[in-house]
Amino acid sequence: MTSERQGEIYDLGYQRYDGPREGRGRARRALLVNGIRSALGIGRGSRAKVLPALLFVAAMSPAVIMIIIASVTGPGLGVPGHADYYSIIVPIFLLFSAIIAPELLIPDRRDRVLHLYLVRPLTPTDYVAGRWSAFLLVTLAIVYSGQILLFLGLLLTASDPVDYVRENWLDVPRFLAAGFVVAVFTTTLPMAVAAFTSRRAYAAAFVIGLWIVSASAAGILTTCEETVVTTSTDGTVTVTAQECVPLAGDFGKWFALLDIGETPIRINDLIFGEEPESGLGALAQELPDIVPIGWYLIMTAGPGFVLWRRYQGIAI
Amino acid sequence: MPPILEAKNLTKRYGSTIALDSVDFEVEEGITGLLGPNGAGKSTAIKLFLGLLKPTSGSAEVMGRQPYSSIEIRGRLGYMPEHDCLPDAINSSEFLSHMAQVSGLPPSHARTRAADVLRHVGLDEERYRPIGEYSTGMKQRVKLAQALVHDPTIVMLDEPTAGLDPGGREEMLDLIRRTGREFGISLLLSSHLMGEVERTCDRIVVLEGGRITQAGAVAQFTQETQTLFLEVDDNLDELMEALAKHGIQAELDGASVVVQDVTEEQYDDIRDALVDADSRLRRLAPRRGSLSDIFRGGQA
Repeated sequence: MTSERQGEIYDLGYQRYDGPREGRGRARRALLVNGIRSALGIGRGSRAKVLPALLFVAAMSPAVIMIIIASVTGPGLGVPGHADYYSIIVPIFLLFSAIIAPELLIPDRRDRVLHLYLVRPLTPTDYVAGRWSAFLLVTLAIVYSGQILLFLGLLLTASDPVDYVRENWLDVPRFLAAGFVVAVFTTTLPMAVAAFTSRRAYAAAFVIGLWIVSASAAGILTTCEETVVTTSTDGTVTVTAQECVPLAGDFGKWFALLDIGETPIRINDLIFGEEPESGLGALAQELPDIVPIGWYLIMTAGPGFVLWRRYQGIAI
Repeated sequence: MPPILEAKNLTKRYGSTIALDSVDFEVEEGITGLLGPNGAGKSTAIKLFLGLLKPTSGSAEVMGRQPYSSIEIRGRLGYMPEHDCLPDAINSSEFLSHMAQVSGLPPSHARTRAADVLRHVGLDEERYRPIGEYSTGMKQRVKLAQALVHDPTIVMLDEPTAGLDPGGREEMLDLIRRTGREFGISLLLSSHLMGEVERTCDRIVVLEGGRITQAGAVAQFTQETQTLFLEVDDNLDELMEALAKHGIQAELDGASVVVQDVTEEQYDDIRDALVDADSRLRRLAPRRGSLSDIFRGGQA
């Protein structure tokens, strides 16, 4: 043991900072990274990580089940694939987004951290864009992970992987495009709602309620009433036809658009060239392709504008 | 040296309400107090300098640039709001590091600055605890730390001692004085408490009803006045007579004798009067002015 002094601690006092200052670009990146961390619960307690972990598991499960089915039956007709994946996970994403997305906006407004952001080199538009982009990137990462897993699974279960790639390579750009469509939709609507409340539960309840009400309204207004057409000759009644007429008549196909959960799925079907699986989808298919595309744009750009507008001139 | 902040004919209206009415003032290096009652326009002035509000007319310039339109200059400003503004769920180290990055510092520098500043505000040991577990005094320190973490040129403090007990208030004022004097960061301190401003600031700007009523160095307002106070243990009446004989006009103020507009030469006469009256002197001191006296005078 030595009694020699190994070192000393000096209090240098306050040191001025003369390192690099990267301005608005760094501020935007910092906000984006912070948003991704918040959405995933990183840097927070273990409870904050439960929902993102559940979302990941819920998003991967359909892909795993599809791979198992394909491994048993072999890939081919009747086996669910990339086009069906988003139909299954859109409701899951809408549900989770309704709960997780408000976490990126509400605490900043409720705790008034927003004031501290806006006195730094950031504009309200930078703030909204940063938070929206952060959640979009998280959503994209998860939806693409599921599709990539599915692609690899189907590839490995195929009898001839090279043939599989040759025949199905177009699925890759399709699922990338459709994934973007799904992610933008499931990001924008919940965030627009979250911009108007100080409680996460209210935001989540509103989005889930809107989803259920819109699906119910679309279902009621497009319900088919089977009309039996009969002819009578010589007192004998003969059933000659059965027609399905929506309660809303010819407008039924328009009301089919109301179901917000179906909005991105219709674009997914258009991208993959798939026939709609749901009754509402089949009705909406009677409309020109531009209609569901336009409706999707309204249902994303509308909430997006509302979200942006909400933060312009927000009272500080 | 050019001023750090400069209000030029600055006006801000909210509908028909005038919050600031064509005010002109400058804030130079050091600690400047922005003093005035509630509703005087202090917070509006700060928000204009932070770029949160657009002036109705005139300009609020920071180092020659207007922060409302020149976003980058905000990276050289610090702001400590009066109200709560801290997230509960994360620890102060992570919060400060993030705030430094949002001010434009690269991540590695931001982490170092966060640790340094937390040490300077006395939260070194507590930096990994969630902010939600902090006391009010500790939260005020985090609020100050986030305003300092990017080493701004000037920090604007809006009622920094609000909600603190007397001990916490003194600690915060001491920290503010250190920030201004030792750290070399200029401060604009908004307060409605004259005592705080008097003890902390080098200069003051007084706002009332959206207009400037006083401005200048604090020492200018609180310098020794020409009034002398005398306190004696006995023979008070005799002393008054003796002072009169020596040609000194004095007044009684309770048990004290007050001599107005005393000159250097009269000190000898006062000494002689004390000897003549055989009064035992307890205290003889020039009276210092206080900001509140000045304002009472200004408002009268």
